[in-house]
Amino acid sequence: MHKFRLSPYLFTAPAVLLFSFTILLPIVMTFFFSFYDWNGFGTMKFIGFDNYVRAFHDHIYLLSYWHILIYIILTIFLEVFAGLFLAGLITVKLKGTSLFRVAFFTPVMLPMLVTSFMWRFVYNSDFGLLNAVLKFLHLDSWTNVWLGNPHTALYALCIVSGWSYAGFYMTIFYAGIQRIPNDIYESAYLDGATERDIFFKIKIPMIKNLVEVALTLCILGGFQGFDLFYVMTNGGPYNATEIVTTYLVKVVFTNGSIGYGSALAVVMTLVVVGVGVVLNMLKRNGNETLEY
Amino acid sequence: MKKAIIGLAVLSSVAALTTGCGSSNSNENAASGNTASTNAGATNGSDEKFTIRLADGSPGDEVLSVWNKVKDMYEKAHPNVTVEFVLQDPQLYQTMGLPSLLNGENAPDIYFEWAGDRLKTRVHDGFAADLTSYLEQDGLKGKFSEGNFVGMVYDNKKYMIPTDSQVTNVIWYNKKIFSKVGITQPPTTWDEFMADCEKLKAANYIPITTGNKDLWTAGNWNAHLISRVVGEQAYADAMELKSPFNTPEFAKAMSYMKQLWDNKYINDSVNGINDDEGAALFFNERAAMYPSGGWFVSGAKDKAPDMEYDYFNLPTMPDGKGDQGSVIGVLEGYVVNKNSKHIGAAVDYLKVLESPEVVTMLSQAGSSMIAPGSEPETDPTILKLKDMMDNTKSVVSPPDTGYNLEVADALNSATAEVLGGVSTPEQALAKLDAKVAPLKK
Repeated sequence: MHKFRLSPYLFTAPAVLLFSFTILLPIVMTFFFSFYDWNGFGTMKFIGFDNYVRAFHDHIYLLSYWHILIYIILTIFLEVFAGLFLAGLITVKLKGTSLFRVAFFTPVMLPMLVTSFMWRFVYNSDFGLLNAVLKFLHLDSWTNVWLGNPHTALYALCIVSGWSYAGFYMTIFYAGIQRIPNDIYESAYLDGATERDIFFKIKIPMIKNLVEVALTLCILGGFQGFDLFYVMTNGGPYNATEIVTTYLVKVVFTNGSIGYGSALAVVMTLVVVGVGVVLNMLKRNGNETLEY
Repeated sequence: MKKAIIGLAVLSSVAALTTGCGSSNSNENAASGNTASTNAGATNGSDEKFTIRLADGSPGDEVLSVWNKVKDMYEKAHPNVTVEFVLQDPQLYQTMGLPSLLNGENAPDIYFEWAGDRLKTRVHDGFAADLTSYLEQDGLKGKFSEGNFVGMVYDNKKYMIPTDSQVTNVIWYNKKIFSKVGITQPPTTWDEFMADCEKLKAANYIPITTGNKDLWTAGNWNAHLISRVVGEQAYADAMELKSPFNTPEFAKAMSYMKQLWDNKYINDSVNGINDDEGAALFFNERAAMYPSGGWFVSGAKDKAPDMEYDYFNLPTMPDGKGDQGSVIGVLEGYVVNKNSKHIGAAVDYLKVLESPEVVTMLSQAGSSMIAPGSEPETDPTILKLKDMMDNTKSVVSPPDTGYNLEVADALNSATAEVLGGVSTPEQALAKLDAKVAPLKK
């Protein structure tokens, strides 16, 4: 008969309790609050699924998912593909590429808050750098209220995100490309391959796993974006850059609507989990990696 | 047996953690503010040592230094009492900060609050002590007129000790620019106001600057304008969801904001920049007018000490149903927590805060105090603002301090859309009604 031993339970208890109190309990409580009309204090009123019904009729909340989708699609190009391109450039055997490696990576080292404040100055329509440069080049008609115009604000934010993170993905890809043995390149050169052929037919296929990881990070990271949006536009103008996290903060911390905010958070969690599962399935289906 | 042992282990761990959380919580609360403690012996008839906790949004350095003096004065007179400040970022304090503190383990004994709907909520939730009898005691009696208690009285009981009154919106103007373009008197009617804007625009000035990224700046101004057009009661009824927003009267009121955008009388970056960036356009003389509150005076002293400025109240609106001499503003003060074990001591502390010497020190630090000071106020702009507030027949509550925050946010968003030219008044108001519909329960 299996003898019961207490020590394994005691050894795991701190970790289990820590996980329960910091992760599990908040999740359970958020789910619980989502069925109540509650302002964080005072009386809690049970309202069943009303908060969820309200969420699915909340135009701004639904719009915020659309904004996240646009943000993810654009940042895939501006961060992952741009990172891939930069990694390709800095691994070309030319002098001075290490300088560019440092230059492209520098924005990654800046905290997003600093980056956001800096770019707010760049985009400022009255005193900002971008409009000043355009005016200097006599391109006055191109000047714009970049962060105050609902047609440009979201794209302006995506550019900042790309500027900040392209270097991060470049570093990941650079590390992967560095691992490719030199004899593969030498054989390719002997066969008459150009740098372009090497990039598309050797480097990219051989770091496919890293590209997949980068895409997953970029997609799931899109749902976690907050600081950039909060500092630069706080969801404005007219909710044109509202994403789920900025809207959640408004609902919970500005409007004091804990119950409704909890329902929004639960829906967002389900969406993120759903996206994660789909990505995982897609990854499994196309799991053909070149060995080296 | 096996289950019992596991259960016991889990229970004791939970108990240990809970105890840990409890004690760390009290430390955390103390650490969240500027805490200073001095303990001394008792002199006020009781040896019991205790702490009075006062919660507020972080003030400027000058006001904080006065508060520390008040604390020292009080602790000297009551050596058994320690005064502790719990200060938070003002934005956080105004939203979720104060409710969290009130529901925490070490809830404050005294807390800052705005009169009106917010105070009413505190009274309803059992966090406000009835101070009617205390206000009749020496040290407080006779300091305030009945008008100073607007929004502080519920069921004939007074729940707040007023400290200051704040005009939250007037239109500040640059006297030099006005005289340069030939405006000799500030406008008194909307039509005159528009004519002046046209003159300023023609002279290549931005007539009005506002940084409305955070919505409350133009929201505050437009709420006043709405109340002038539709009437104070109609404005209050809509804000309290007793009547819809999307009515011809509200649309007419909103159309004045549209007029500003259509005629390019407001900075085109209005919804893309924050209040400070909006003010910068005024301080560097690119814009001639800047709608803001009484706090502008202290900001101008720092940022544009040489600027010659003055203000005018919102001009009278054509066919307005409201009081055309109304002022938008708030009365502010301190509430004593009903659950405090030291209500008497808390009131004693507030008596020191309202003493003439302290009132004078606070006034000199930029606060617009209600209680009389030991020296008369000399700043002409502050005196003029005070006089305007004291003599108006109607004080209009701003959306974000007088009413439900969700409704305020919805109205402010509608204002931004119209002021930024992306929605017509009717569209914005229809959207506003749809947004607040779930709140009508």
